[in-house]
This record gives sequence, C-alpha cells and structure tokens, in this order.
Amino acid sequence: MYLAHLHLLLNHFPAIGTLIGVILLLISLVGKNTDLRRASLIIFAFIALVSLPTFFSGIGAQGAIKGEAGVSDALIDTHEGSAMLALFFMELTGAFALAGLWQFQRPSGVSRWNLPLVLLLSLMTVGLMFRVTATGSEIRHPEVRSEVAAAGTHETGVSGIVHALEPSPTKFTELMLANKFWWAFMMDMHFIGLALLIGTVGVLDLRIMGFAKGVSIASLHRLLPWALAGFAINMVTGVLAFIGMPIFYTYDLAFWIKISAILLLGLNAAAFYLTDAFRSVAQLGPGEDAPAFPKFIAASSLFLWFVVIAFGRYIQWFSDNVPNIPVH
Amino acid sequence: MALPAFLQTVEEMGFSKWMRESDSVFGFYFILLLHTVGLALLVGSNAVVDLRLLGMAREIPLVPLKRFFRVMWTGFTINVTTGVLLLLAYPTKQLTNPDFYIKLTLIAFAVWIMHKLKTNVFDDSTLSETAMMARGASLAKWSLALWVGAITAGRLLAYTYRYVTFP
Repeated sequence: MYLAHLHLLLNHFPAIGTLIGVILLLISLVGKNTDLRRASLIIFAFIALVSLPTFFSGIGAQGAIKGEAGVSDALIDTHEGSAMLALFFMELTGAFALAGLWQFQRPSGVSRWNLPLVLLLSLMTVGLMFRVTATGSEIRHPEVRSEVAAAGTHETGVSGIVHALEPSPTKFTELMLANKFWWAFMMDMHFIGLALLIGTVGVLDLRIMGFAKGVSIASLHRLLPWALAGFAINMVTGVLAFIGMPIFYTYDLAFWIKISAILLLGLNAAAFYLTDAFRSVAQLGPGEDAPAFPKFIAASSLFLWFVVIAFGRYIQWFSDNVPNIPVH
Repeated sequence: MALPAFLQTVEEMGFSKWMRESDSVFGFYFILLLHTVGLALLVGSNAVVDLRLLGMAREIPLVPLKRFFRVMWTGFTINVTTGVLLLLAYPTKQLTNPDFYIKLTLIAFAVWIMHKLKTNVFDDSTLSETAMMARGASLAKWSLALWVGAITAGRLLAYTYRYVTFP
C-alpha cells in the first residue's frame, strides 16, 4: 500500500469538506431549510470519518520523504501537531452532528443546543483544518513557505496562540506510553466499547435479517445511541492508541484492513439511512419480515463488524507488511 | 517460585507449540479473534437485555428478547472452546497469574446471573413487563458490573503476567 499516495489523495477532504458543510449550514440558517441543515450534518459526519485515514496515513507519508534534502523535521512536527488538534475538533463536530441527525428522527425533535454547538465547533474546525493544510503544504512547497516557517522562528499573533495549544507529537506519544496501566485501561475501554457497539448493532442487524421477529425494528432502533456511545469510546481510545504507537500501526496491514472496513461501514450506514431502506423497516411491527435490500444491508453490516474485530486482533500478526515506499 | 512440571509437559505438546509458533493465519491470532467475537455476542446481547431491564428503550417488548439468550449461549460456547485452546498455548503464563483466577471467578458469577435472568425473569410467562423489570433490575446491575469486571480482568492478563513460557 502506498501510504504517501493515500495521504495526498485524502488530505484535501477535511478542510474543504468541512468548509462546504459550514457554508451549507449557514445557508440553511438564513433560508430556514431543514433538509439543507441535515445535509450539512451528514457532511460533517462523513468528513469526520474520512479524517481518520487522512490522519493515520500521515506517518507513512513522512516515512516516504524523511531524510531528503529540503525536508525539515520541524515543519513536519508542526504539521503533525496541528493535525492532531484539528482532528480532535473534527471528531467532536462529527459526534455532535451525528447526535443532531439522531434527534432529527425522534418525535421530540432536535434539542436547542445542537445547532449552536455544531456551528461553533465546525467553524473552529474549518480554521484549524486550513492551518493543517497550510503547515502541510509548507513541507514540500518552498514557494508557499511563510518567512516565519522558513526561518524556523516562533509564530506570532493568532497562529502563535494556536501553535501553543497544539500538542507536541513526540511528547503526546511518550505520554500514552508512560504508564503500562494507562495503556491497559485504554485497551479495556476499547473492548467494553466493542461489546456495547456490537451488542446493540448486532441485535438490530439480526432482527432485520429475520431473527427474533417478535420485536419491532423501530423499538430496537431506539438503542442506537448506545451503539454511537460505544463507537465514540472506541474511536477515542483507538486514536489515542495510534498516537501512542504510530509506527507500529502505520506499517501493519491488518490495521489498514480494519480502517477500510470501518469506512465501508460508513457507506453501509449511508445506504441504510439515505435510501428507502430505513423507512421501509421502521414501520414494520412485531412478526413482520423485512424486504430484501435492508436484509442485505444488515448482513453486510454484521460481516463488516466481524472484519473489524478480526483484523483488529490480527494487528501485530501482519506487522511490517506495509512497505515504506520513497516518493520522488 | 517452583512451577508445576505439568505446565512444561503441556507446553511441549505438538498443538501447544503449533499455537505459539505457527505462521499460519489460523494459529493463535485466529483463535484470539474468535474469542473476541464470542465476547461481543455474549456480553453485547446480555448488555442489551440488562439495559432494557434497567429501563432504557422501554418501547422494546421484553418477552421476545428471550430469543437473545441463545445468542449469549452461542457466544459462551465459542469462548469456552477458544479459551481452552488459548490456555493450552500459554498455560504457564495464565495459570501463574492471579488475575486469571479473578477473571474466571467473575465470568462464573456473570454466567450464573445470566442463567438466573433467564429462569427467574424470562421463563415465568405469568409476569407482566413491570414485574419482570422489578424482578430483573438488580440482577441486570450485577450482570453489567460483572461483565465489565470480566473484560477488564481479561485485558489485564496481557499486562500482569510473570512467566511467558516455562522457565
């Protein structure tokens, strides 16, 4: 796999995608258009998912150019630190966007705090993401390098303040590994999140496929916030584990298969909620059979979650199976 | 500490060696992944029943959830089988670790609670939903706590062992 290529392919999505989301959200506010607002929330959730492989492929991209003439480690460190901070805000935005999407379909509707919170977080994310693209482009493009970056001196003004808040990648990594039992705790939470997530989603999938038909699908669907909570726990602990051992995960094929399966699950969720599939099963009562298409989506969801668990466990067995390919 | 000799005998068995040293995809990591899938089936579906008994998602009728005890027992069977295989691969590592016995104890209690949930709450068809919840609430709390404890103890096995193979 060519991680540098992957990084270059994905790295425009987070900044531009979030910007498009924010513009749609602002237009929806002016025009009081709910459909547009939902669309912007969907974009935030989608970009939050895409930001993960963008972030994860950064170490591979660094490995491909490290040591070449004109490549500054300090610039790469600044880029990595800015990417971490932006990723945290991106994922928060995605989480509250998903919460908003969930609230859209419940009878009591969207709570009042959701809109201002998503708006504020997404605006901050856009700013941080454009800083990530700026610091990233400086690595390979001397023509856009600012005088400050070229001279290696400290930044001033707003970017100086933001820079001070950005984590230092090496220190963050050390922090994650400082205590064996912090690591054990994170892995423990990753398994508890797994049980919560697979339990709720798995039960829903099984019902759609025709198991335990006495339960209505709509009622099992009410458990979805628990699945989202499990996913959130696992995303946080997963990203922190990656930050703790970036090289270990970067060159492990099983890790990338796992991440690909998670992205496919995002498409799977889109196929369920953005087509007629969800509506066609939401009205089914106890004892009623789901149509073929939702059954197919439920089966592929179960299969993909199996792939996620399986390749999560194969991490380490497949280690050093991703080549570090120099880019010229 | 003097280690019992049978641990070494087990570790010299062909299967035990194969589990530890094989390059096959179906070696140790495959068994480990089945152990994790079993965990998801067992604890995941049990947690759903527990959360429902504690009053979450009240729209779900309780009685049909009885079907999910089959999923739990399937997960349990997978995990007993894969657990024995994993133990054959590293008997010294696990049997000399006090945490391993804590894990087994917690699982024993959690499965006992699971069985009580089935017999006391779900098998009594005369109970109303409210009566089922009243009878199941404290069992459900214990169930959640014991499963979280069992998973934690299981994860800690990777960080608390003293001997990896027979010294």
